[in-house]
Amino acid sequence: MITVDQPAVQDVYSVVEEVWNTFLGDGVPILPGARDLPDDAWYSAITVTGEWEALILIAMPLALAGRITTTMLGLPEDDECSTEDLTDALGELVNIVGGNIKSLMPGPSTLSLPLVAQGAVTTTSDLVEVCEVGVVWHDEPVLITISVPKLAGGAS
Amino acid sequence: MKILVVDDSRVMRQIVIRTLRQSGHGGNDILEAENGRQALEMVLAEHPDLVLSDWNMPEMTGIDLLDSLRQAGSTVTFGFVTSEGSEAMRSRASASGAAFLIAKPFTPEAFDAALSATKVG
Repeated sequence: MITVDQPAVQDVYSVVEEVWNTFLGDGVPILPGARDLPDDAWYSAITVTGEWEALILIAMPLALAGRITTTMLGLPEDDECSTEDLTDALGELVNIVGGNIKSLMPGPSTLSLPLVAQGAVTTTSDLVEVCEVGVVWHDEPVLITISVPKLAGGAS
Repeated sequence: MKILVVDDSRVMRQIVIRTLRQSGHGGNDILEAENGRQALEMVLAEHPDLVLSDWNMPEMTGIDLLDSLRQAGSTVTFGFVTSEGSEAMRSRASASGAAFLIAKPFTPEAFDAALSATKVG
């Protein structure tokens, strides 16, 4: 029997909620809910290798990525942020979410450095998505997905 | 008091510095480094009283920084501020001589508790 090592959706939601409330707490709560992302959404990715292996992705529209960046930097919300700052903020966001999810799973494992890019990320065929959490913040969607190698996920 | 904040993310360095202020530790001289290698040079040259370091960084990780500092004879008070707060990481940090590990996301209260316990900052 193959054991499926994947975090529970509720645990991932709790991690995301804690990160948002702590670092992005502007009085507007995040709410559960899945919505379609635009084609030009921004993606931040981080991988976990070791006892537990996974690819963790966070995707969101550009406008929300900008809001997250200015909020994390403590700037007024209508300030323009540079692409460098936006990349930095989204990378740190997936680093924190990924590190907390990794802590929920069997170890020892290693967290990679984050990668950030605009445009849809397609995972390779040897990965299978095992967890998807959609949230809405400021009426914009954020999608968190976790994919694991097919053997570990038990899929064919 | 001099505090060195080490993180490859400028955004996170800003959050750490803001949280230091919010936790009542804002009246210190703040230095910044963006990786372990740069921090190592700064500690040996600037002699800060406290290092607050990320773990996962390019060039040199936080744990390699701590090990290098101890090998170089530095006894600077060292705390991790990292997204990975598992018991295994805490044990690894403690074994290398870290005074504390603050897990991201953190609150000003967590900073105050950690810094007050070390009697620095």
